[in-house]
Amino acid sequence: MATDQRTGDWYGTDEAVSRLRGQAFKSLCLGATLLALVSVFVLLLYVANDAFRPLSADIGWLLTFAASLLLPTLGATGYYYTRDARAGETAAIALGLPVVSLLLTGGVFITLEHIVTVYQWASIVVALAIAAAVVFAHGRVRTSADLERFIVLVAVPIAALVLIPDLILSLPMLPTEALALLGSVVVPVAVVVGWFVRRQRENDRDGAIAAGLTLVVAAAGLGLAPVVGLSPFVWMLLVVVTAVPVGLYVESVVRRGAGTAGLAFPVLVAGGVIVGVVVTEALGFAGPNSWLDWGFLTDPPSRTPEDAGFYPPLVGSVMMLLVIVVSAFPVGVGAAVYLEEYAPDRGWWGRLVDLIEVNIGNLAGVPSVVYGVLGLALFIRQGGLGSGTALVGGFTVSLLILPIVIISSQEAISAVPDSMREASYGMGATRWQTVRNVVLPEALPGIMTGNILAMGRAIGETAPLLIIGAPAVVRIAPDSFTSKFSAMPRQIYTWSSEIDAAFQHGVLAAGVMTLLVVLLLMNGAAIIIRNKYQRRD
Amino acid sequence: MSERSIDVDLTRSSSGQVVKERIYKWLLFACAALTVFVTVAIIYTLARDAITFFDLVPAAEFFTETEWFVRGDGGNFGVWPLVSATLIITVVSAMVAVPTGVAAAVYLSEYATDRMRSVLKPALEILAGIPTVVYGYLALVYLTPALQAIGIPVGTFNLLSASIMVGIMIIPMVSSLSEDAMSSVPDSLRQAGYGMGATKYEVSTGIVIPAAISGIFSSFILALSRAIGETMIVVMAAGLRPRMFNFSNPLNNLLSSGQPMTAGMVNAVTSDATGGSATYLSMFALGLTLFVITFAMNLASDFVAARYQEEYQ
Repeated sequence: MATDQRTGDWYGTDEAVSRLRGQAFKSLCLGATLLALVSVFVLLLYVANDAFRPLSADIGWLLTFAASLLLPTLGATGYYYTRDARAGETAAIALGLPVVSLLLTGGVFITLEHIVTVYQWASIVVALAIAAAVVFAHGRVRTSADLERFIVLVAVPIAALVLIPDLILSLPMLPTEALALLGSVVVPVAVVVGWFVRRQRENDRDGAIAAGLTLVVAAAGLGLAPVVGLSPFVWMLLVVVTAVPVGLYVESVVRRGAGTAGLAFPVLVAGGVIVGVVVTEALGFAGPNSWLDWGFLTDPPSRTPEDAGFYPPLVGSVMMLLVIVVSAFPVGVGAAVYLEEYAPDRGWWGRLVDLIEVNIGNLAGVPSVVYGVLGLALFIRQGGLGSGTALVGGFTVSLLILPIVIISSQEAISAVPDSMREASYGMGATRWQTVRNVVLPEALPGIMTGNILAMGRAIGETAPLLIIGAPAVVRIAPDSFTSKFSAMPRQIYTWSSEIDAAFQHGVLAAGVMTLLVVLLLMNGAAIIIRNKYQRRD
Repeated sequence: MSERSIDVDLTRSSSGQVVKERIYKWLLFACAALTVFVTVAIIYTLARDAITFFDLVPAAEFFTETEWFVRGDGGNFGVWPLVSATLIITVVSAMVAVPTGVAAAVYLSEYATDRMRSVLKPALEILAGIPTVVYGYLALVYLTPALQAIGIPVGTFNLLSASIMVGIMIIPMVSSLSEDAMSSVPDSLRQAGYGMGATKYEVSTGIVIPAAISGIFSSFILALSRAIGETMIVVMAAGLRPRMFNFSNPLNNLLSSGQPMTAGMVNAVTSDATGGSATYLSMFALGLTLFVITFAMNLASDFVAARYQEEYQ
């Protein structure tokens, strides 16, 4: 070292190790991090204030809710944070899960209300059930004919889907809507729940109990729902989409026995809301005159700010997401499976695969407005689909999020340890069997996380929708994939050109808040899935 | 599963099985190859209609003239006003995002405790997940009046607040990519620095940042390409009136409205121009220019990251 004079002195030889400089640098870096976060956070607080207008409420209303809701939840949060971190986690999930699944219930309700009628759905379920039975029977009769079985596996469901639904829909007598829902949604969900519980517990009896309970509680709605003021239809959806996951979670926490204190949190929140409502009603305190209320979510857009609503764009966003789930996710996951499991590393074929990977990385950086132009040229001008329809919007945004889906799925798949694959090959499994039975189930939580995040990206995309001609205002919720649609961000953009302050600081804020809440719930769900999954490794 | 007897012939291989495996393999390959098709389709569709556009509008006009106005189906199509607005947005947003993003990355990678990191990183992720239409709304309805309130004479639509918002939007991108680069600097380098008597400040600025510089630069390029392609913020907050860069009073350009290239595309398609007219087709010419620029920048970012990366064992 002594001979190497070029590198200069040792650090600190000037005897002036400055604590001040280090501290200043550290605070500068922290300040920069916080600057970005705080500036956006403050702006979002303004938006929330404009959307909910909490200060327009009576002071008594605010005090009541502060006492019944805010103080208890703050106290509980403090307790969880300092004493019982495990319960805090349970509390977060126990509060978040019902909210997320209620959102999902809303999505399913919109789907069954506007997009697929219950009867159409039921006929599809029957067709698939018949197809599954045929495939199963064929497998029993001809055990060794692999290729033939593969053809049957592909051909029979397609034939069933083409022929049977129309046949059923043309029947002279159809059961009531509630019964059709019971048969086509509740029964399959009950079967899945039973199968899931049985697999987790490795106990047939528990599985049967879970399935039976789901069925009985949902069916009880036929008689009980009118008593509590719901339609049997809504009751059943609430049971299968909201109550079942919540029930399974609560049961698993109770059985685990750790962090059960967290289960009190949602009860505390719900109780606080109920007490607050009862007290303010009794004392006659007026609530805030919020822009974001039930009417906003269920009304069509309007030129008068007080009547303006968000319902058709909400339906449009759900339809677009359905198209994306069906088109982008299978292709994206398939591509990721190929790149991770099948693609060779060397040879000219390997170079081709390298090229594909570089290309995917670059596609992820192409501006969204360019994808809009691609969708316009590809689907509308070449493909002959109508401009501004949900189908075109969904396909276009699918192309946009495809690289994101592929990259995140690739990460999830490559995280599956090689030893599991080798064990599978050692058992004589083929490559596809390994992928299907070992790799995909193991990578599923990671893939789900990536896909939900990609959906969050998709739901906020605006520029492609402008380019493919999604109309500025849609007053009637779209009822098919080939009718014109508007999505939430598209409607927000339309409203942004209104100069009226009631639009700028009221309706727009409410729309933005709705979009952000949906996004936040989706991202939160993704993060929870990821955390749960990472810990297990 | 357990009650099924295990008398299966594991080495059985029927021709059907082999064919089936092949079908699956090719199906999955088709999924991966679709992405190449997307790239080709983008280039083909953009180029085809851009060529038609240059039949109607001479390329010399497009690339040399300094006036862009659209009247019905025709107008004057000199691209420079749009390019200058895009450049202003990019430069100003970089001035916001680059220092902030790098400082945030240094903090997250070198200084933050685990607990701090577990709060700040998801928060930045959420920032990255906010839709751009929301950022546009924030810029238009809150940031512009705030700027006016502190005495900056900006118009209702102006490039300044749009650029600041674009800058805030790309901070998470700079910080997360730069942080990845900094965290992959091996600890032995830091330990060596401490062994030489360096303070944490000296290790961060003298060792970690130089060692991670290729990753940091590639994050700049990616973030800038994102800024160039950003649409909704500029459409909503910067306005739709094209204005050539005013060299006599450069700062004034920030205060007035402008129309970047992406906004020009949106304007072309949402105006009443008929399909096949020069106005409508200008969208494709702009789109192609935009695609080429961002694609080149993404490739450059890959190249910088790979070429100048320090190799560590």
